[in-house]
Order: sequence, then C-alpha cells, then structure tokens
Amino acid sequence: MSSELKKLPAESFERITIDSSHSERIAKPSLSFWQDAWLRIRKNKAAIVSIFILVFILIMAFVGPMISPHDAETQTITHANLPPKVPGFEKLGFLDGVGTMAGKEVDLYEMKKVDTYYWFGTDGLGRDMFSRVWEGTQISLFIAFMAALIDMIIGVAYGGVSAFYGGRVDDMMQRVVEILYGIPTLVIVILMILFMEPGVTAIIIAITITGWIGMSRIVRGQVLRYKNQEFVLASRTLGASNPRIITKHILPNILGIIIINTMFTIPGAIFFEAFLSFIGLGLQPPAASLGTLINDGYKLVQYQPHILLFPSIILSLLMIAFNLLGDGLRDAFDPKMKD
Amino acid sequence: MEKILEVKDLELSFHTFAGEVKAIRGVNFDLLKGETLAIVGESGSGKSVTTKSIMRLLPEHSSEFKNGHILFNGKDLTKLSDREMQKIRGKDISMIFQDPMTSLNPTMTIGNQIMEPILKHRKVNKTEARKVAIDLLRLVGMPKPELRIKQYPHQFSGGQRQRIVIAIALACNPQILIADEPTTALDVTIQAQILELMKDLQKKIDTSIIFITHDLGVVANVADRVAVMYGGKIVEIGTVDEIFYNPQHPYTWGLLSSMPSLDVEEEKLYAIPGTPPDLLNPPKGDAFALRSDYAMQIDLEEDPPFFQVSDTHSAATWLLHPDAPQVEPPLSIIERMKKFPGSRYFTGTEGGTN
Amino acid sequence: MAEKLLEIKNLKQYFNQGKPNEVRAVDDISFDIYKGETLGLVGESGCGKSTTGRSIIRLYNATDGEVIYDGVNVHDKKSKSDLKIFNRKMQMIFQDPYASLNPRMKVLDIIAEGLDIHGLVKTPKERKERVVELLETVGLNREHADRYPHEFSGGQRQRLGIARALAVEPEFIIADEPISALDVSIQAQVVNLLKELQEEKGLTYLFIAHDLSMVKYISDRIGVMYFGKLVELAPADELYKNPMHPYTQSLLSAIPLPDPNYERTRVRKSYDPASHNYQDGEEIAMREVNPGHFVFCSAKEFEAMKALSRA
Repeated sequence: MSSELKKLPAESFERITIDSSHSERIAKPSLSFWQDAWLRIRKNKAAIVSIFILVFILIMAFVGPMISPHDAETQTITHANLPPKVPGFEKLGFLDGVGTMAGKEVDLYEMKKVDTYYWFGTDGLGRDMFSRVWEGTQISLFIAFMAALIDMIIGVAYGGVSAFYGGRVDDMMQRVVEILYGIPTLVIVILMILFMEPGVTAIIIAITITGWIGMSRIVRGQVLRYKNQEFVLASRTLGASNPRIITKHILPNILGIIIINTMFTIPGAIFFEAFLSFIGLGLQPPAASLGTLINDGYKLVQYQPHILLFPSIILSLLMIAFNLLGDGLRDAFDPKMKD
Repeated sequence: MEKILEVKDLELSFHTFAGEVKAIRGVNFDLLKGETLAIVGESGSGKSVTTKSIMRLLPEHSSEFKNGHILFNGKDLTKLSDREMQKIRGKDISMIFQDPMTSLNPTMTIGNQIMEPILKHRKVNKTEARKVAIDLLRLVGMPKPELRIKQYPHQFSGGQRQRIVIAIALACNPQILIADEPTTALDVTIQAQILELMKDLQKKIDTSIIFITHDLGVVANVADRVAVMYGGKIVEIGTVDEIFYNPQHPYTWGLLSSMPSLDVEEEKLYAIPGTPPDLLNPPKGDAFALRSDYAMQIDLEEDPPFFQVSDTHSAATWLLHPDAPQVEPPLSIIERMKKFPGSRYFTGTEGGTN
Repeated sequence: MAEKLLEIKNLKQYFNQGKPNEVRAVDDISFDIYKGETLGLVGESGCGKSTTGRSIIRLYNATDGEVIYDGVNVHDKKSKSDLKIFNRKMQMIFQDPYASLNPRMKVLDIIAEGLDIHGLVKTPKERKERVVELLETVGLNREHADRYPHEFSGGQRQRLGIARALAVEPEFIIADEPISALDVSIQAQVVNLLKELQEEKGLTYLFIAHDLSMVKYISDRIGVMYFGKLVELAPADELYKNPMHPYTQSLLSAIPLPDPNYERTRVRKSYDPASHNYQDGEEIAMREVNPGHFVFCSAKEFEAMKALSRA
C-alpha cells in the first residue's frame, strides 16, 4: 500500500532525541472526586433546577413568615376563609380574592370588607395561610432533616461496624436487623404515638425507629466491598490501625453513597410525617406542618381549595426536587454508568 | 486467495464527556478465506474497537464512523441498519470474547444458548437444533455432551466455558470468527488446549479468524498474518514470519524486545518508555515517535504512509523512506533478522521461513 | 553460603476448615528465601501462590506452620508494636493497579502513608520531600504528587504502588502478580525498575506470577505450585533446562513463545495427577535430586529421577 513518495526536505530525516520524561507528564488538570462530580452535576439541568427550588423553599421557610404582613397565630374570625389575594396579580384574574359562594363568583374581600392582602388566603379560623404554610414547611423540613440525620448516624455506625468486623458480629447484628425489619413499622408507630406526647419529638422517633435500617444495609454492602480491596490490604501491610483504615480509606469512598441515600431519605421522611399528620397521629393544633395543613385542607377542597393547594404544591416540589437531586448526584458520583 | 473482508480507510470516534476520542484513525486490511489474521496491540491501540465496529457492536449514540468502508459479501457493513446486521451476526460473522465467566447467560442452560443462533438463523426445528448442539459440544471436546447440554454455565470451569462459547460462535458455520483475546483470562495449559481446538476447528470448518491479542507468543502460535496496531492505526502488517523475523517498525521492535526469551540470558529488558498516546488529542505526525529511540524530525510533522517491504509486508514508518538514514535495530531484533533471508543481517546459515 | 532471610515451615492455609466446602489453599509447604535473592513462585489459578504471599505477610492468619523472618516467628507475634516492626521490614506490591490505590487520596498521601504510620518524618516539608524522592526513584515526576490515581496509566500506578512500599525502607518485598494486569511493553518497564531497586537497595523479593518467561528473567530460583503444594524448586535456569516434575514439564511445554518456527514444532505435554500412581502410605516429600533442585515426589520417583540425571 505505498503511495508516490513526495520529495521531502533533507532535514526531515534528522534524528532527534526524545526526552522521555515528557511522556510521563499528565496534561489535563487535576480533579478530585468532588470537583469532578460537581462538573457533572452542573450539566444535569434537572438537578440544577432542583437545587434552586430547594434553596428557594428553604429560604422562604424562614423568610416567609417574616415578610408577611400577618402572623400565623392571630385568628381573625371576620377574615375567615378568604381566598388568596396578591397585589399585582389581581389584575390578571387569579389570586384576586374571588371565590364561589352559593354557586356564584364573588369577591369575598369586598364582601367581608377586608382591606388587607392575604397572599395565600386564610383558613377557617381567619389565620394567614401564607405564614402558616411557611411555618409548617419549617417544621416539616426540621423533622425531615433531623430524621435523616439520625438515620444516617445510626445506619452508618450499625452497618459499618457489622461489615467491618464481620464474622459472628456481623451475623448477630444482621439477625437483629431482620427481626426489626419484619415488624410492621406502622403498628410500632401507632403504638408509640399513643403512649407518647404527640409532637415533633414523637414523630422524629417514629420515623427513625426503623428508618435507619435501609441506610445500614447499604453501608454494610459498601463496607464489605471496600474492606477487601487491595488498597485497604496495602494499608494493612503498611501497619495501619483499624480506625485509620475506617476514617481514611473506607469512609471517603462510601461518602458518596451515604449522601445519595440521605438525599432519598429526606423526602421519605417528609412524606411519612405528612402521612402521620394526615391520619391524625402527628402534630396537634395549633402546631402546623405540611401534613396537618393538608389534612385541614382536604376536607374543604370543594369550597376553599386554596387551603389544600399551597401546602400540596410545596410538598410536591420538595419531594420531586429531592428525588431529582438524588438521581443527579447518583449519576455524578458514578460516571461509569453514563458514558 | 479470495478476500472475505475488506476494511478500507476506517475512521471511528467516540463522543465522550471529555470530548471526541479518535479511537480508529485510518485502518486498512483485508481478510483472506481460511486464514488467521492476528491483530496485536496494547490497551488503547484500537484493536478491540476495530473488531467491534465490524460487528457493529458499539453504542450507536456515542460512536460515529467518520470515514471508511467495511466490505463483506458485497455489502458495506458501516451502512447497514441494526436489523440487517442481526442477520449477519452469529451467522456469517461470529464473535467470542475474553471473559468466559461473563460471556454466558447464567440463567439459561448451555443447550439453549447454543441452540439460540441455530434456531434463529437456520430453518430447523428444536429437535434438529438440539442434535446440532450436541454435535457441536462433541466437536469442541466436551465429554458426555448429551448430559451436559442441560447444565448451567456455573457448573463448568473457565476453559470449558470458553469451549461452549466457541461452540455457540461456530453453530452456523460463520465465514468469519472474531476472537477478542479469547485466552487472555485462561491459565497457560488451558490456553494451549483452547488454541489447539481453535486451529483444529478452523481446518474442519474452513472459517477465517481475526484473532486479537497482546500476547506475541500466542500470535506466533496461531497466526498466518499479523497486523500491529498502535494509537488507532495499523503500523505494520505482514506474514507471521515477516513480522517476527524481519520487523521494520520501531514499535514492533519495542514489543518484541520487551519480552524476555527463554533461551537467552539477558542483562536488561528493553522497555519502551512512556505510555500510549491520548486519543482525545492524537499527536501530530507519527504517534509512536515520542517513545521511539529512532525518531526523526519528520515524525513530528507528518504521518508516515505505508512503505512496501515485500508483496505481503508493509510498515508505516519514515525509516523506510529511501532518504531515511539506515538505523540499527535493537540487538535482540538483529538476532531475529539473522534467521530471515531478505533482511540485511541474514547470515545464510539458518533456513527459517516458508 | 548466603544467609536465610525467611524460612517457611509447613505452612498451611485452610479456609472453612472442617466444613464440606473446606479449601486447602496452601497445603503444607516449606521453603527458604535467601537474602538478596529473588524467589519466583509460579503456578496456575487456584494453586495457592497468592495465598502463600498473603499468609507470609500476615494478611491471613496461617492455619498452621511457621513463618520465620530473620530468626523471629512472624505469626507468633500478638502485640501491635511487634507487628509494626514486621510491617516495616516486609512489604507487598499488589496485582490490580486499579484497585491497589485509594481513589480518593492524593498520590502524596498514598505514598506518605507508611511514613505517617511509623512516624518517619517530622514536618510536612520533610514528608513532601521524601515523597518526591520516592517518586523520582520510580521514574515519575514531582508534579505527580498532587494528582489522583485515576489520572495515571496502569504502569504508572504500579510504580506508585512500588513507591508506597519503598517508603518504609523494607528489606523484603512480596510482589503479588505485579505485572499481570499490564501491557507487554509496560511490564518490561516495571520489571526493570524492580531489578534496579533490588541492586540499589539490596532487597529480597518473592515474585509471584503466572507468566513464566518474565519469572525466569527476574528470578534466581523458582518454585512451582500445584493445588496448594510446592512440586518443584530449583535455580531458574536449571528449572527451564531440566524440569523434573511432570507438572512442571507440562507447564513449560504449554508456553507459547514469540518464535513461529519454535511454535510450529512445539509439542505440548499434558499432566495427569493420577499418573503418579501414589500408593497409600507412600511418603511424598520434597527431595533434593540435584544440588539445589528439589522435587516433590515419592521415594520411587526420586530414584528414577536421580538415575535420569546421572545419564
């Protein structure tokens, strides 16, 4: 397969020496695992949007009640059951304080002679829904984060110890988990709540009592996988102690999975709390969480849909955003699956 | 001899997260009927990608044929749809892979796995197919095939699994068998058995084999012709004797010198310095130049064309240009050349070629 | 006569002992390793060579037998500080370049780990300098210290593994299939490096591998293992020129060489363990057939081999 040889300048055939240390150079910039994951996440639009939504909701949960002209507790009976009215939007035909009464569309604010704005409307006792919804979000988020944190701490510790020590220790610890897992969670929770003071603590305990098992299983699997990897063996041959191996070698490698799992635990916790509150086992009035608000709201959905609407939207956004973010993180931490 | 497959000017790239990786940068070769062509190269040379592109097994959304044709039975395989390729795979062109542990479906009996291509491509019923499967198992040296045909992959050893894989590949008497490092994961003695089996079957079925490997010993054992790949291109191609006893490309020299010989005492192994090129940004000119002791100015500027050494032997290196200075290959290569009539080191005392 | 650095006596490593799925990975083997030599240990998968290496360095606790390093029994030691001494003297290089380096640690920390554990450096500056010194010893650059393992090729990673092992200034290194996962031309780089280091630092190696040609190149003596037993032990050249145990003969006859003429005429011998026809009560042991050349055989076979080598 030769081609016609073109005439080449004489110097072309001069021998050159190659500096072989050149060949060892690495051209690309160095990226740690986290930097690389961040670059990947940035390209995932769903994840970025989710981050924005979550940050927004988080900020609003604290800022919301502060910026509202009304507070969450004050009951103004004369202002009861007002639909949402927001300055500026009213011109557009919605959020204009118009609701149905006896089948007819009436501007209820005019009717009840209310001259302030209730951005999310009011509930049956005349409380400002805007502040109530955001305070409820605060509580729901608090419960969810605390539950996720406790699940993570117990789950990582339990699963990690079980896997790292292995053998009989692992066998026994896993038998305990299996028994716990077999007991229906809802039954435990109901029994517990009947005996305890209903409130935030009770709910957190209810959620975490078996919630940590999922995390412990995952962590156990990961630790089992890593503890026999050659780099851990290498560390042992260098004389590393167990604490060193756990903190420097195993934990950094499983951190990604722990974060992802926590990301998915949070919406589960939020929803579980909402569910408990919805069936009446959660917070008691006047305390509000997204769940209690939804409970209040669904009874009135025909007449005052706004009471159900806003907490539902926020709950849905939280769930979707955490799930999308969790998915995005999973793809970012495990790039082999994508390419 | 008749040409079964013609690969012309093949170029293929992968679109990855980091950019475009030019995995194949201009590959040309033919496959003749009944021969075994070995493709040798190291990781990143493009040898696996080349054969996977013949079979069109690369992910459609991230790989792209930038140029070239693969001509088989009057068709250009790069242009066929997946449905049309399905008629060819397993029937006219078969492939066997490296890892016998993952090449078989653990949830199907081996009988069903061998019958699968038979039922798909040949118009026979199940009883007939089963008979063919038993015959194939016998052909690949499996004892008690009627009993074993009902068993599952985990009940077989690595070497036996590779035999089953070969049976599946040959079920429809393909014209071409592509073997991608089929013995790399096997022990030396099992490897020897499998190679003997493959050569034996090739004679019986008269199929052409493309054999990919990085083990030059295996190449010397099975190949009729050898293509050496580096950096996404073929750098040298010739008959097995020409490549082993009269190599011309510095990379081939490096490969042959970096293997210790069992009969000669060596002080130090020649090791090619550096690492293979990054195909995200292939270097200008001769990709091997940066690691070669024989580099010249032109290697940094222009890609060398193929220079003919004989009717069957050519190499893409500027060292073969008539104006290039004459260089002395490494000592171990000179020793090899002494056995090859036609090389300038031939001592005339040994006959060594066909 | 060179002094012995390591004496392995009747080493046994059984897994799941007593149960139906008991595996006798290492089944009563004994050999010595002399100071400054490279002992190659070869065999096919499942023969127990890797397990032997890991038992010696105490990654596994031996089921039975003794590992005597410089006169001291390694497996006896219970206290942490005693074990630490051995950690400095004996080091290991692993097979898989992709699994042997912690993907989340920088090269600097990976190589310095030994220094940290044994307190061999006092300041961060000293630590960095020592790591750079080690990097240069294995043919890498100072800039590589700040990078992560995934940025390196297989061959470079193996060199990082070597640098890590050298950090604690060991006397004895067990290389567990260090080149099996590397390309041919890179294998030569790593093997040359190991040879250089051995000369410079007076190291002793146990080189475990299944690539027989590489093992012959680097080893002074070679041991062949088969299903947990050591079947032959001889100087490298002697083993290749004059293999006596039928398994060794079978193994050597199966190796393909990059020489088409040789390949055309090579005849492979098969090995059938039943061909020994060992009777009950016959003692099979390592017997010295020629000086330095040991074969695992019965008294009958021993006589036959001796007769053959006299001829």
